[in-house]
This record gives sequence, structure tokens and C-alpha cells, in this order.
Amino acid sequence: MPSSAMAPNAHGIQQRSFNPYTENGGSIMAIAGTDFCVIAGDTRQSEGYQIQTRYKPKVFRLTDRATLATNGFAADAEALVSRIKQRLEMYRHAHGSSMPIAGIARMISTILYGKRFFPYYVYNILGGLDEQGKGAVYSFDPVGSYEREFCRAAGAAQSLLQPFLDSQVMFKNQLSTPQRKLPEPGTMKLDEVLKLVMDSFTGATERHIEVGDGLEMFVVRTPPAEGQTSQAGSAISTDLQAWGAVEALGGEDEQEEQAVVVIRRELKKD
Amino acid sequence: MSIMEYNGGSVVAMRGKNCVAIASDLRLGNQALTVACNFDKVFPITERVFIGLPGLASDLTTLREKFRYRVNMYKMKEERDIQPETFAHLVSSTLYEKRFGPYFVEPVIAGLSSPDAPEPNEPFIAASDLIGCLNFAKDFVVSGTASDKLFGMAEGLWEEDLGPDELFETISQTLLGALERDALSGWGAVVRVM
Repeated sequence: MPSSAMAPNAHGIQQRSFNPYTENGGSIMAIAGTDFCVIAGDTRQSEGYQIQTRYKPKVFRLTDRATLATNGFAADAEALVSRIKQRLEMYRHAHGSSMPIAGIARMISTILYGKRFFPYYVYNILGGLDEQGKGAVYSFDPVGSYEREFCRAAGAAQSLLQPFLDSQVMFKNQLSTPQRKLPEPGTMKLDEVLKLVMDSFTGATERHIEVGDGLEMFVVRTPPAEGQTSQAGSAISTDLQAWGAVEALGGEDEQEEQAVVVIRRELKKD
Repeated sequence: MSIMEYNGGSVVAMRGKNCVAIASDLRLGNQALTVACNFDKVFPITERVFIGLPGLASDLTTLREKFRYRVNMYKMKEERDIQPETFAHLVSSTLYEKRFGPYFVEPVIAGLSSPDAPEPNEPFIAASDLIGCLNFAKDFVVSGTASDKLFGMAEGLWEEDLGPDELFETISQTLLGALERDALSGWGAVVRVM
């Protein structure tokens, strides 16, 4: 037999492949307070050097007490969020109330681990209020490992944002003195946290090409106790209308007014 | 793993009002294994010019000797100390000389111009990539394995016209914060303020 007949064809062996994943840039972060939580993300979606859109939200209201930020592969994020919302609605039909945030966190973990060998290529940060009305942040890896924290950044500019949060939220590398006692992490005022988030993202926008266009900051706040008016200094008494806050959309439940609001800011577009 | 991350280490420099600061970590590693905790990466060139050399430690030693030689020759011929900006261009051309077989070092230069220079006592900082592309920044420059973390910290903490004490605090917090999040840098730090 002639040796040429042994070869598959004149061009040699052919290979085909399909990569089911891509990376869509962007960054997210969340910071917990005593009676509130801020969950933020930029609104740029990109692939390589190409901007696909300047406004694609990646922070979603789930319930009156839980908001989810997703980052990574946008198609997986979309599939995951719709599945989470579906599960939350099922829970509500079965129990007549919204799932508490610790439950949502565990549920997200099991959903992610359910695809352990073909993962959702998404980094998630769940922010909101726990059952005591305290601010809560849960962060996840793509296969469901999770942890509760005071603050967390994820996504393209994670390495720029997280050390800054360590410094300004956790007060790392700072010492308490009699003149200036260091505050406990997670006890900052809402307006301080909002300023910090805006500074973080403008900084990340300067130095990271995948971050920019717009910023969405979701604020989840503890409502005043039954039959009481809100106390001065509490997050719910903070006037977020002045910041341009509007009621946040989405979620499986009916909204309590001012419980979840969103503040939109412009970021540099280049 | 990239050769630039073989030994680990980071340097940052910042400009203030009539002052500059340059800081580095002290770690020397062999990939994940820490070998030394007293490995300063910043060296004096003249009384008023310093260079930080994060990257491959063997190239750091080679370049330090090379710059000592070239700056000594400069001083003998010119009968004066080299200015920070001139030195930055010397660094750049020294690195570009080896364009196709580079030294794996990304230098940071900080200094004050001499009192009898055309612009006396002017703070100066610059950074270069491994083949000599200079970056003259007015605010801060970063380099090394924690460079992205340093960018995030510096972008948030740095402001214009800081005095020497404020600049010391700013550069220290910037470096410390970045080192905490970088596995290849840390194990102590040195800050120099001019």
C-alpha cells in the first residue's frame, strides 16, 4: 500500500474544538454595615478589547433582604440568576415567605456545586441583611465554596479593589491609639460606605481597561421595627434621594418601600 | 511560571510636595519557598537618587554593579553627580541594549535634582519595563509581583502635594496593603523619604 494512503488526508490530521466559556470583564464588590449592605458593580460588558455594551447590569435584587452580584462569564451568570430566582419563587410558594439570606447562600452553593464538573464560570457576591437585620456579605467561588465576610471585591479589578477594602473597611495595618481608636470593621455609616465604593470604582476605572462606563450601587436597609419610626442615624433614615437613589427592580417578592434602592453613577467611558 | 515571578518582590515610588519616597519589600524567594527576609531591592546611586530593582534577583545584582560602573564613569568624565532624569535615560538605554535577551528587572527610580540644577530640588520618579520603556509619572509608579495591588492602593490613597510625613504614611500603607494580598512579596519593608 502506498504510504500516502495511510495519512487521513493531504493536509494531515484535522482538529476541531469548541470553547464553551469566555470572560466578560467587569468588577463587583459588597460591604456590610450594622443595619445595611451595599452591593455594587460596574455596568460594562466586554470581550477582549471590545466593549459589547456600556450598560449590562450584573447586580440583581432577589428579595427585600438579599441582592446578588455576579461576575465572570455573562451567559452563565444569566442562566444562574434566572435559576436562583426560580428557586426563590418556588420557596415562596411553599413557605409563604422569602428565603432568609443564609438559606440563599447555602442554596447558591449547592446549585454551583451541582455543576462541579462543568461549572458556571461566575464569581458571586451575595449581599443583604441576616435574620437579626445586620448587614451580611457572602462570597462564592465558581464551584460553590463560600464564606460570610464584612467586605469582598471580585472580578477583573479584584486585585486592585480588595487591598483597598482591607485598608479602609477592615483597617488593616493601622494601629489604635488613645487619641484615635480604630472603629470595628462593619460599623461604618452608610454615606461613608457609598463614598468608599465610588472611590474604589473610579480608582479601578483609571487603572483597569475592563472597568468603566457606569456604576450601580444597591443599598439594602433594615426597616424600622413594627410600630416604630426610624431612629436618627440609622441607615433607613439616611436620605438616599439626595444621592439620586431609585427603587430597585426585580426579585420574586413585593417590595417594601425604600428597603432596596439603587444609586447609578457614571464612570469614565474610555 | 514567568521568570519575573521567580524570586518575587515589589517596589513603589511616590511624589510629594518637595519630597519623594521609594519603598520596597524585603522578601527573596525561590518560587513558593522564602529564602531571605532582608533582601532590600532599593539602592543608592548618588546621595539624591535611588533605584529599586524588583524582578529576577541575579539580574538585579548584575544591573546594580553595571549602574555603579556607568555612574562612576559618568562622574569622572562630567565631574558632577548624575541627575535623576539623566540616570533614568541611562537605565533605559542600558536595558534596551539587551532588547532581544533582556534583564528580567523592572526598575523604579526616585530622586531629587541637585540644588545647582536648572530646576533645583525637583522631586522625580520614573519606572521602566524590562526593555527600557520609561514612564515619567507625576503621582506614583509601581513595579514587581504586587504591582496590580499597588496600583489599586495608590490610586485610592495618593493625593497631591503631600508633605514628607504624610507621604511616608501614604506610601507605607500603600505598600503594606499590597503586600498582604501578594504571596510573593512581603516579609518586611523599607521606606526611604527624601
